[in-house]
Parts: sequence; structure tokens; C-alpha cells
Amino acid sequence: MGFVLRILVFGLQAGAIYALVALGIALVYKATGILNFAQGELGTIAAFSAFFVLAGGLDAEASDSKLRLILATLVAVVVGAAFGVLVNTLVVRHVAGASPVTSLVATVGVALFLTAAQTLLFETRARNFPRYIDGGFRLPLANVNVPWHTIVILVVLAGVAASLAVFFRTPYGIALLATAEEPFAAELQGVPVALMRTIAWGGAGALGALGGLLGAGFFENLQPGLMTTTFLIPAFVGAVLGGIGSLVGSAVGGLIVGASVALANQLVRTFEVDVPGPPQIAVLVVLLGVLLFKPNGLLGDRV
Amino acid sequence: MTATATRRPSGDDVVAEGRRGNRNADDGRFVVSPQGMAARVAVLVGLLLLVLAIPVIVPDVYTNVVSRAAIYAIIALSMNVLVGYTGQVSLGHTAFVGVGAFASGYTMTELGLPFGAGIAMSAFTGAVIALGLGFVALRLAGLYLALVTIAFALFAQETLFNIRSLTGGGAGMPADRPAFLIDDTRYAYFCFFMLALVLAFDWRLTATRLGRAIRALRDDERVAASWGVDVARFKLLAFVISGILAGIAGALFASTEQIVSAQDFTFGVSLTFLSMTVVGGAGNRWGVAQGGALFAVLPTLLERAHENFHVIPFTWINARFEPAIAALLLVLTLIFYPGGIAQQQAHLLRWLSFGPWKSHGGDDDKVAGITGGSVGARP
Repeated sequence: MGFVLRILVFGLQAGAIYALVALGIALVYKATGILNFAQGELGTIAAFSAFFVLAGGLDAEASDSKLRLILATLVAVVVGAAFGVLVNTLVVRHVAGASPVTSLVATVGVALFLTAAQTLLFETRARNFPRYIDGGFRLPLANVNVPWHTIVILVVLAGVAASLAVFFRTPYGIALLATAEEPFAAELQGVPVALMRTIAWGGAGALGALGGLLGAGFFENLQPGLMTTTFLIPAFVGAVLGGIGSLVGSAVGGLIVGASVALANQLVRTFEVDVPGPPQIAVLVVLLGVLLFKPNGLLGDRV
Repeated sequence: MTATATRRPSGDDVVAEGRRGNRNADDGRFVVSPQGMAARVAVLVGLLLLVLAIPVIVPDVYTNVVSRAAIYAIIALSMNVLVGYTGQVSLGHTAFVGVGAFASGYTMTELGLPFGAGIAMSAFTGAVIALGLGFVALRLAGLYLALVTIAFALFAQETLFNIRSLTGGGAGMPADRPAFLIDDTRYAYFCFFMLALVLAFDWRLTATRLGRAIRALRDDERVAASWGVDVARFKLLAFVISGILAGIAGALFASTEQIVSAQDFTFGVSLTFLSMTVVGGAGNRWGVAQGGALFAVLPTLLERAHENFHVIPFTWINARFEPAIAALLLVLTLIFYPGGIAQQQAHLLRWLSFGPWKSHGGDDDKVAGITGGSVGARP
């Protein structure tokens, strides 16, 4: 019982952030058919802008004021959305002869550029980053500490998933779906396809910002390339696991990947086997498993 | 496929000679005139001598950078077999190169076998790993395959390359050079020699039925199958060839610094490997080889320019800018020149391969660039 609870707790901590990033990936994929490799870095950039607000500069320490953190969050979400739109406007739209894979490589270029720019501006050292609620509580039975931060992440994830679900019931949401399904037919029906894509990228950027803020809070520090090196690949796998066109699926998939990683870590610790990199093994196994046996994902109806 | 019109550089008339080549009256094929032949041979010999002089010309501290350039060119050619010829994108080529590097180190250090055995072992292990991924590629295409290659590279980086008994763990695995290659300049020439072998192999590969079959897979697997190409066999073969080349490059890489550790093969390096192939011009061996060499020497070039040229922009650009410049090169290539360096040099490359300077249409003008299968898994 304790073992299962521990895996759930640890799994949800990272898994909820995988899920947030996966939601951003799924949103762009749904609207444009592109796998966005820069989804992680949109979050890191946004988190750096939040740090700038918190510390009032790049070399100071981040302030502890929660009010300021809220302000920083707003700034970060706007910055994230702006960068999302910029990536689409400046790069993705212009990629010559774009096959899905070419577009993926273009977003790889964007991610590399954003990471490199962060390294130039902020250097590689890690900076302290605050959480929305400090501390945690002790979970009975499992004998583990659950940080309040985990609860915050789960609440944000639920809120984002619910608002996206509502959004896709509105005329705008349906127009976005139509854009993805059949851009030409959507255009004929009067859907402004280019604008819908811009909205999707902006939304993905804002989601990325939330992921970045909560991800930096997860480690309680921030450094260039943070989201790409730690959360991006498991998030991709989560999105594929859930069925990449499905938003709910992506969120669920992210959580399952989180739990799988936690399970791998716990197994290695419990049986004291000397296997390096259990998270990476878990991610690869989950990815191969889902692609080879259920390529449409758990909740995806089409590929 | 991303075929776009070839852009003409402004210097169309620099080598007007090519136009004087005759068109054969019977079939309209281009025939090089004797003067044209002489000019081409002279330029080719000049270029060859220039390249061969590089290891001697550069200051001693940079000799290993020259070796690295040749090794990166081999890695780019290995990527090219998948990305350029087969249309399978690999975002995890560090796995192949790294396995080769550690296999060579292990063979020489732990088994006490000579350098040649190390290279053979790294080619073999590279092939085996690539074959494994090839079987996955039989079921998956496009984006999904790209994801698997990333996940695999991460797995290799964190798990495979950290198995202490095989890789020496954090301390790394020594990979000594044999006595006759201890000298850095000699080692650079050895790397050049290996690059020449790989280029010759690549040339034969594309010139034969095998190569045509592999490239038919890139354009359309179903059409290829209808022409009698055994899709599964040739795809696996392409992976194996790519793995062998990457493994050999890994062995050379390991012996450059004579030690290899897991930090040399983080998955960010994989993205560099992909970038240099795309920037070079996926599908063109001369382009990708230049792309590889460029990415290998870029940090050194920037540093040297920063130290020696006291003009803007070199006063404020130094080696720290290399990742940003490399990423920018990738994005700009995809937007403006999907055929990369090879597309920009299209006239020159055609002229040097005994064709006309100016294009007269036809298949030669197609720029391959990076392609990729459709999304999805095939049942």
C-alpha cells in the first residue's frame, strides 16, 4: 500500500508537469499537425521573464513576496504566449516545403536557439525559483511528504484541462478543430485559418509558461534549457501515449509517464539493482510499448 | 519532397567556360570540352591539395580540431544515409556514435586488442544497434520514429554509457592510439583517409542499384514497392550502413582525445549532428561533409576571429555564440535554402562533377533537403 501510494505521489509530482507540457504539444498538434519541440523552451523563456520580475534584475535573488509571484506569473504567461506566436510567425509558417518532419526539425532549431540565447543572456548557473505555496504535509500510510506545490500543479492542470475542454465546445474551439481537420474546407466555411493557428500557438506558449513556472518551482531553481532537458521528452511520450490528437489523453498520458518513471525509480531503489538511468528506461519502454502495440494511443481515435 | 527551384548566385559568369561545352547533337547530353576538362581537373586537384595541406598549415593546438572536422564529416555522411537518402529522421545519432566510441575503447583497453580491431568492433556494434532501431522503423515512420530515436539517445546517454564495466563510468574509457598515429598530424591524415574511404563508399552506394532502391524509399515507399524494391530489407540495410559509418566515426572520435566518456554524447550533441546534416544539405554527400566540418570547426573559428579581427562583429562575437549561430543556421537553412550548402553550391558542384555550370533543367536540379514520411504508424 505504502509502495503504491509513494509511486502515485512521486509520479503525480513530475507527471502533472509532463501533462501540462503535453497539453501544449497536443494543442499545437491538433491545430497544425506539427510536433513542437520548442514547447519546453517556451516555458523556460517565460520562467526567466518571471524571474526578472521577481528579482528586479538578472543577478539579484528572487523575492519571496507571493504577490510579486502572481504578478510575475501574469508577465510570464503573456511572454510565453508572445513567444509562441513569434515562433509560428517567424519560423514555422515559412519553413519551405514543410513535411511534418521538416517542421519538427525547424522547432528543434527554435529550441536550440532559445536555449543558446538563454545561455548567452543568463549564463549557465542555476537561480533560485520560488513556489506558490511552500512546505507540504505528511501523507499517512505512505510515510511521504507531499509538497503543497504538487497540489498546486494538479489544480492548475485540472483547471487548464477543464478550460480547454470548454473552449473546444465554443465556436472558436470548433473552428480550431476544423482548421486542423481540413484547413481548406475550414477556409471555405469562413474560418480564418491563419488566425486560428496563431491562437493555437499563443495558447501553447501560455501553457508552456505555466509549465515552466511550475517546473522551475518543482526544482526550486531555474537554468537555461531546463524544460527541454527534464520535461520535454517524457511529455512527448505522454502526448503519444494518450493519443496525440486528444487533449484529455495527453494529460492522462503525462500522468501515466510520471507514474512509470516513479515506478522505475522505486523498483531500482527497492531491489537495490545497479542500473543507471531508470527514468530514461521507463520513458523508452513506455514509448515503444504504446507505439508498437497501441499506436493510436489510449484515447486517440485517429493518428 | 522539398524540391524547390535552384537559386542562382550572382556570379554566374565567373566560370563561363562551362557553357562552351558542347551539347551532343544526338541526345542533347552535355559533353565537356577538352579545355573544360583541363579547368575542372585543375580546380579539383587544387582543392584536394588545399584540403591535404590543412593539417600541416594549422597551428599544432588545432590539429585535433581538424581531425574532429573529418570525423564530423563522416558522422554527417552517416546521418545522410538515413535523413538524405532514406528520409528517416534520426534525432538520436549520438547513440550510434557513442556505442562505436565505447566499443573501440573497450576493445583496446579492456581486451587489449589493436586499433584496427577497435574500429572493426565499433563498426559491428554500431551496425547491431542501428539494426535494432531499423526494426522499429519498419513499423513506424516520420514523427513517431523521430521520437523513438530521441528517447533511445536519452536511454543510451543515461543508461548504456553509464554501465561502469563497459564504459568506465564517469571516469571514462581510455582509447589509446597505436604507436604510428600518436602524432596528431598523422592522426588527422588518418581521419582524412577514413573520410575519403567513406566518401568513396557513399559514391558507390548511390551509383548502384542498392542506392537507387534506398532513395526510392524516401520518395514513396509504396511506389518503390510496386517497382519491386523490398522495402523492409533496404530500410534495414540503410540503418545498418548508417550504423557502421557512425560506429567508425565513434572509434575515431574516441581516439582523438584518447579518452571517451558519457558527457561526450549528450542528446544535445545529437541535435548538432542533425543540424549539420540539414545545413550541409541532406541528400548531397559533398554538402553534408562540409556541413559536418563546418560545425566541428565553428567554435574554434569564432574564437580565432574574436582574437584576431578587431572589427565589428568579431569584437563582440566569440565562441560563446556558437550554439546560437548554429541554431540560427539551421532555422535559416530550413526557411530559405532547404537544400543547404549543397543548394548554394549547386552550380559549382555540378561543374566540378564534369557537368555544365548552368543548369538546363532536369533531375539534377532537384534539391533533396530534409524530407520525411507521413505521420503515423503503419500496421
